[in-house]
Amino acid sequence: MSTAYKPVGWNRNKLIYDAILLCGVVAYILLYLKLAPLLSSSVRAVDTPILRMRAFGSLAFLLLTLVLAIGPLARLDSRFLPLLYNRRHLGVMTAAVAFTHAMFVLDWYFAFSATPKFTALFTSNTSFGSIAGFPFELFGVFALVILLVLAATSHDFWLSFLSPPVWKAMHMGIYAAYAAAVLHVGLGAAIDGTNPMTALFLSASLAALSVLHLLAGRREMAIDDAASRIDAKTDWVDVGALDAIQEGRAIVGVLPRGERVAVFRFKNRLSALSNLCSHQNGPIGEGKVVMGFATCPWHGYQYRLEDGCAPPPFRERVRKYRVKISGARVLVDPVAVPLGTRIEPVVIDGAPPPASPPLPSRRTSP
Amino acid sequence: MMPRPPDPGFFIGYAKKVPPEIAQCALLVSVFFLLGLVSASLAFSLSAQDPGSGGYVDELKGGRLAGVLETLPYPILRVPAQDGKGPRAIMLSGQGKAGVANAADPLAGQWAEVSGIFVKRGELDMLLVGGRNGLAGVEPPAGAVQPQAPVALGRWRLTGEICDGKCYAGAMRPGTGLAHKACANLCITGGVPPVFVTTSPVEGHNFLLMAGADGGPLPRALLDHTGLLIELEGEIEQRDDIMIFKVETPARPGVAS
Ligand code: HEM
Ligand code: FES
Repeated sequence: MSTAYKPVGWNRNKLIYDAILLCGVVAYILLYLKLAPLLSSSVRAVDTPILRMRAFGSLAFLLLTLVLAIGPLARLDSRFLPLLYNRRHLGVMTAAVAFTHAMFVLDWYFAFSATPKFTALFTSNTSFGSIAGFPFELFGVFALVILLVLAATSHDFWLSFLSPPVWKAMHMGIYAAYAAAVLHVGLGAAIDGTNPMTALFLSASLAALSVLHLLAGRREMAIDDAASRIDAKTDWVDVGALDAIQEGRAIVGVLPRGERVAVFRFKNRLSALSNLCSHQNGPIGEGKVVMGFATCPWHGYQYRLEDGCAPPPFRERVRKYRVKISGARVLVDPVAVPLGTRIEPVVIDGAPPPASPPLPSRRTSP
Repeated sequence: MMPRPPDPGFFIGYAKKVPPEIAQCALLVSVFFLLGLVSASLAFSLSAQDPGSGGYVDELKGGRLAGVLETLPYPILRVPAQDGKGPRAIMLSGQGKAGVANAADPLAGQWAEVSGIFVKRGELDMLLVGGRNGLAGVEPPAGAVQPQAPVALGRWRLTGEICDGKCYAGAMRPGTGLAHKACANLCITGGVPPVFVTTSPVEGHNFLLMAGADGGPLPRALLDHTGLLIELEGEIEQRDDIMIFKVETPARPGVAS
């Protein structure tokens, strides 16, 4: 949500996030390459370039696992949201670590030969017909290419250039990268069996990610299954009980075509917005009203409750819906109004009459 | 209206204030993250297996070694018995992932002198030809004896792994296994002599220099089987102190595990 694209918009939280990441990465590599050889003669006997590529390869795989765990973790418990806030930096760092791994491989296993490195990478093992001995490096190449493309297009410039749905679809490629990395490690190092940890970490990573994604998926399905029944008289959608909405928060309903809608309660008035953040499709309804704006929990993009527009100078807009109260229930018109249309929030009976709310005019960009 | 539960706090990345619940959780996650990486690092690195005892040995110390050069299946220097040691057959390889066939072929069957550095692992010796005039023809010394003819040891079926002889001997440690397959193939196509590392010894030898059934270099089809436990069949012949395994293609995936 910025009007001008800077390479990186820093703030204190991002600095802390990146500092911790970097500490972890540096600690991992230093311990692997400096401490382990002191502790074990077996490690000492392995050539340093081979240790280096193992260190960076295993770290890339662990970081990739972590990147993929953040999504479901944040869906399952909002306290994990800070992890999500700067996840793109974690992704870029993963790509950099994987790239380093690949460079060490190229400059050792595929170097010192009359055949050029890249030619050798693609031609020196052609056992495509068998599982054991399959050129597992190619899966690594595939994973790395995806990671590099995603890292290169991670910036908000690309997000708005490609539009969020396209960008989002493209960044789902991270799962293809993970699958390829699993095959890379599985067909290569794990089958080889020279390091029992490789197979162990591979299975642990797969198991953890599967469980987290299944749990998060079940939660999403439960949201979609809940309530959201269509009111026979009006064709509007019943998204829930009025008293289920806390002040400053929203409840989320599902419209007939599957789109989710968030109904916020603020100063005893109701407003319905699309639940899909126009930044990265974050769940706005799991956010909160901050300074009078509906604020997305993922990166803090903000939208005016009356018209779904981000406050100037920002230009993001999300769909708005009509909402009404019927008895103790909240109903939403499933047909969105044209983008940017202003709808007065619905006053909850017995609530004080609307006084024009003070509109904050300034906000830092994330 | 329902009583409101306490607000668990809401994190906005660009806000200066972070709610205490969130800060606490973030701290916990960070500690977990760092401890996790530290223990993963040590678990990974310390469980590495010993790659074996191979390595570089500077036996010649700048000197040269003379003998009769044979070029099939790969360049071999037949060094006559001297200094109380029996006759030796020494595999020759080049710098990097290259053999020395180009320099050796014109000298086939003639006397030659080589300099360089050894890689050794157990009874596997390979001389990496190097230095100025690393491999050059010389006049046969006075009273020179011709090397012994190869001794046929019959047909064998062996289980083991095709490795490139240079890395297995210690030029890259470990020089075995799947991780090394592409690298070994690159070495072998470059002319580095391949060796078969057996699971059970043949006349006391655990590694054999590999050849095609015709006595020439390893057939390309066998590159699909490097780095894996396989079963191979073929004639074995002995030249001085090395065994040569003339394998028949195709190979069969190993049964032993
Ligand atoms: C051009 C791309 C790549 C190439 C050529 C490549 C090649 C290799 C090779 C040759 C090994 C075996 C190294 C050894 O054990 O000595 C290896 C291991 C490994 N690679 Fe890659 N790789 C690539 C990309 C990746 C990526 C993107 C990841 C993860 C995200 C990755 C993760 C790993 C892991 C975890 C291991 C096992 C390390 C161990 O067992 O200690 N690699 N790779
Ligand atoms: S998805 Fe990034 S702020 Fe909503």
